[in-house]
Amino acid sequence: MLSRLAARSAAVAAQHHGARVCVVAPSRLFHCSGQHGRPIEPLPEEGGKVRMGVFPEEWFQFFYKKTGVTGPYVFGTGLIATLLSKEYLVVNNEFIAGGIFVSFVVYCIRRFGPDVATYADKLRQERLDFIDNKKGRFINDCETAIETEKKEQWRAEGVDYLFDAKKANVAMQLETAYRERLHEVSNAVKRRLDYQLDVETTQRRMAQEHMADWVVNNVVKSITPQQEKEALAKCIEDLKRMAKAS
Amino acid sequence: MAGRRAAVKAIDWIAFAERVPPNQKAQFTALKARSDAIYSKYLSTPEKPAAINFAFYKSRLANPALVDEFEQKFNAVKIPEPVDTYTAGLEEAQKKAQADVKSFVAESNARIKGYEEQAAVYKSLPPTELMTYDDVFAAFPEMKPDKEKYPIWPHRPIE
Repeated sequence: MLSRLAARSAAVAAQHHGARVCVVAPSRLFHCSGQHGRPIEPLPEEGGKVRMGVFPEEWFQFFYKKTGVTGPYVFGTGLIATLLSKEYLVVNNEFIAGGIFVSFVVYCIRRFGPDVATYADKLRQERLDFIDNKKGRFINDCETAIETEKKEQWRAEGVDYLFDAKKANVAMQLETAYRERLHEVSNAVKRRLDYQLDVETTQRRMAQEHMADWVVNNVVKSITPQQEKEALAKCIEDLKRMAKAS
Repeated sequence: MAGRRAAVKAIDWIAFAERVPPNQKAQFTALKARSDAIYSKYLSTPEKPAAINFAFYKSRLANPALVDEFEQKFNAVKIPEPVDTYTAGLEEAQKKAQADVKSFVAESNARIKGYEEQAAVYKSLPPTELMTYDDVFAAFPEMKPDKEKYPIWPHRPIE
């Protein structure tokens, strides 16, 4: 099987490089060669094509050019006949034991092979996923970092907003201070005028009150006891008349 | 008098807030609060004080000459404008900050270039199925097993 793989690999190399196809398997490892910078061929997932379970397709192709379709079968039959006839292949107890052993191996491969293959595929896939994740994470990290940098740049360029705000604050405070001064002057003048007004109003009110008091006092002083008595009598008479009327 | 001053430049606080880095939010909030206080005080102070009705006082006060004197002196008084000692410093600080920003942007662009190169290296790797272990270890050196520290059997060089 290895030689078949080598042959195929060499064929691919020939396609790429026009190298001579060597019949003999090249003495190099397929994927570790530092031969050239061509991309590595993917490893075949399936085995090569075979006929009757074991015989590689290439053998039949090899015979086809010389002998046609039946050639390899005739050759195989003849080979077996020769081996048996000349007793190169001796049919004895060991041959039978060998046959049983081979059939057992075939059975085991058929029975357990797929499971083992699945398990091996799983292991491989895990490794691939691990590396892929790592790669994806690195790329993602780089992209996030680029995005963050760009955002930070954008933010840093907003520094003018800060200074605009500060300047506006200064301007507003200056304006406010100026207005407050205007208000202070105006208020001070207004307060003094109000004070003058209040003083005059108070003086006038007190003079009026004083005059009223003086007049009332003099009137009260001028009432004699005789007048008082007459007024009282008049009042009583009025009351009596009102009582009679009701 | 005050009307001839240029109108105070309006600040777009929403756009500003978007640009503030998260670690400076607290400072931004403080600045916003102070600015709002200043602005509301500015708004609540009328541009001109209520005019004094001198005619009213003249008609009420016994001495109109006094009112006239008040009026003359009030109209003659010149109110000094507060001197602006901060804007120059702010301009200077702004220039400095802009220079800082420029150098930061240059540095940042250099960093971005580095990141892009790194990403390009990873993106240019062949599909993982086609990488050998040597390729993988070259691309991700941290995955390479440390044979010095964890030697495998037979733990010494084979002669």
